[in-house]
Amino acid sequence: MRALVWVLAAAAVAALAIVPFTLSPVMVQFGISMLLFAVLAQGWNIIGGFTGYASFGNSVFFGLGTYGTAVAMVQFHLSFALGLVIGAAVAVAFAVLIGLPVLRLRGHYFAITTLALSEAVAAIISNLDIAGRNQGLILPLIRGDTMFYELSLGLMVLATLTVLWLARSRFGFGLIAIREREDAAEVMGIPTTRYKVMAFALAALFSALAGGIQAYYLTFIDPASAFDLSLNVRMIIMAVFGGAGTVLGPVIGAFLLSGVSEVLASYITGVASLFFGLVIIAAVLFTPKGVIDAARRLPRRGLAYFLDAVRETRL
Amino acid sequence: MLVLQVLTNGILLGGLYAVVALGLALVWGVLDIINLAHGAFIMLGGYLTYYLFTGLGLDPFASLPLVMLAMFVLGYLIQWGLLNFLVRAPMFNMLLVTFGIDVVLTYLAQIMFSADLRTIRPAYAGSNFTVGGVTVPWTNLLAFVVALLLTGLLALFLQRQRWGRAIRATAQNLGAARLHGVPPRFAYALTFGIGAALAGGAGTLYGMVAQLTPYVGVPLTAKSFAIAIIGGLDNPLGVIVGGLVLGLAEAFGSLWLGPTYRDAVSLGLLVLVLIVRPTGILGRAS
Repeated sequence: MRALVWVLAAAAVAALAIVPFTLSPVMVQFGISMLLFAVLAQGWNIIGGFTGYASFGNSVFFGLGTYGTAVAMVQFHLSFALGLVIGAAVAVAFAVLIGLPVLRLRGHYFAITTLALSEAVAAIISNLDIAGRNQGLILPLIRGDTMFYELSLGLMVLATLTVLWLARSRFGFGLIAIREREDAAEVMGIPTTRYKVMAFALAALFSALAGGIQAYYLTFIDPASAFDLSLNVRMIIMAVFGGAGTVLGPVIGAFLLSGVSEVLASYITGVASLFFGLVIIAAVLFTPKGVIDAARRLPRRGLAYFLDAVRETRL
Repeated sequence: MLVLQVLTNGILLGGLYAVVALGLALVWGVLDIINLAHGAFIMLGGYLTYYLFTGLGLDPFASLPLVMLAMFVLGYLIQWGLLNFLVRAPMFNMLLVTFGIDVVLTYLAQIMFSADLRTIRPAYAGSNFTVGGVTVPWTNLLAFVVALLLTGLLALFLQRQRWGRAIRATAQNLGAARLHGVPPRFAYALTFGIGAALAGGAGTLYGMVAQLTPYVGVPLTAKSFAIAIIGGLDNPLGVIVGGLVLGLAEAFGSLWLGPTYRDAVSLGLLVLVLIVRPTGILGRAS
């Protein structure tokens, strides 16, 4: 069974890897956005799914990644690789610095502080000359959708392997213990503060790398798109819909929901966002434990599964 | 003299901010639900007032009770028919669903009302009076007074009325309230309905002093958080303090740092208060 899962996963990655050589450029562009969303959802999974800290501010790391990469490439004429490293380093440093005070907050307070953080950083960035203020920055143009696609795929695989390691390592179990009951985890000798900051920094690392790729791929960034609040909600809904705290859930959620919004956007332009809102509501209401859980139990329980899900959480 | 004028503007803005945040603070404090669609409710209240004014010629202050009633019904139905089914789910599920509601309302508004800027401008809009060199616009002053009235009424309701006390009992201990005969599903729907009604009223006032678009919701929700946290969730009067602090901070932030820093000031203040004093300025230590 376990070997089968590995073989299937390897086959899926291989199938994804040959997409740029077999399918149309439009599909490749869709694939890049889908893979980057999967990375963001996986990043959120580390802090939100495993550690139980509902961060609504991961877009700040994404934004710092885009700006770190863009400023390095535009203002200092460094290479893309170096830019990615700088963007990631800035985001990780920010996660550690801000994580120390902010991760002391719990529940709603943490969620809202992180939400405000991304707004505050966006406001600061849009006043900085080096970051091009409100106008944003234009990166050197490059034609290479295949390169961006394979890079995104590699990053997604790396993020998923990291989460797989979390699900099996002492560090990961520590994070789960913090999610289930932080005081008890502390008593059991888990260095809760260090673990939480490390989880936050890991989430920041992947979000920032995704941001760096996005910046060079789109060749244009501005504060509004780099620190987009709805990005937070998208990555969370993808992780939750797939299954928060699972290894493959966020990836599956990102693929399914990216597909749904792409289809909605192409068939019913104009009201696509409206339907995406309805999809969010229905997904959370009927599959609060994620599609992985649903797929496991649906065959046995049938449609009663959805009623059970609602009954379990109703007042 | 400039400082006095900015002080006045800040205080008037603060009163409006208080009523903007009032519904969110009530729902958060009592139901432990952060309603991300709160700003969208305010937006809807504003548009309702706008169409009552342009369509029927109804004065905005006269339409206030009507708008609040309509929004109460909407809020009651949303809690009763949807959110009550999620109360025991993980916290971020509720945040996601209320965000979904926000998206739905925003885009419905965009389809129905278009993305054009709207302002509710009755004949007396723009008229003002001057006291000691400080200009005070009548609409802003009236909006300020109504905001304080609504806040006071809510405080009275929660303190004195039977159902107000039931709501506070629910906030303190759901199980114990249930044992004393408070039907929880009704109490939740009632509270959420009142929250939506207050948002609707805030929308009426907001539409008179600022411009309406379908997209004003999210920034208003964000400000409401900041105000609720600065003031604390223990009692409605805290929201007035929070609103005034934010109004003054934004007014003086614009004066000293420049208007582009206005949002950074309010959000920076929020983060600062959360880290230094998570229960709010008036809040009790936990």
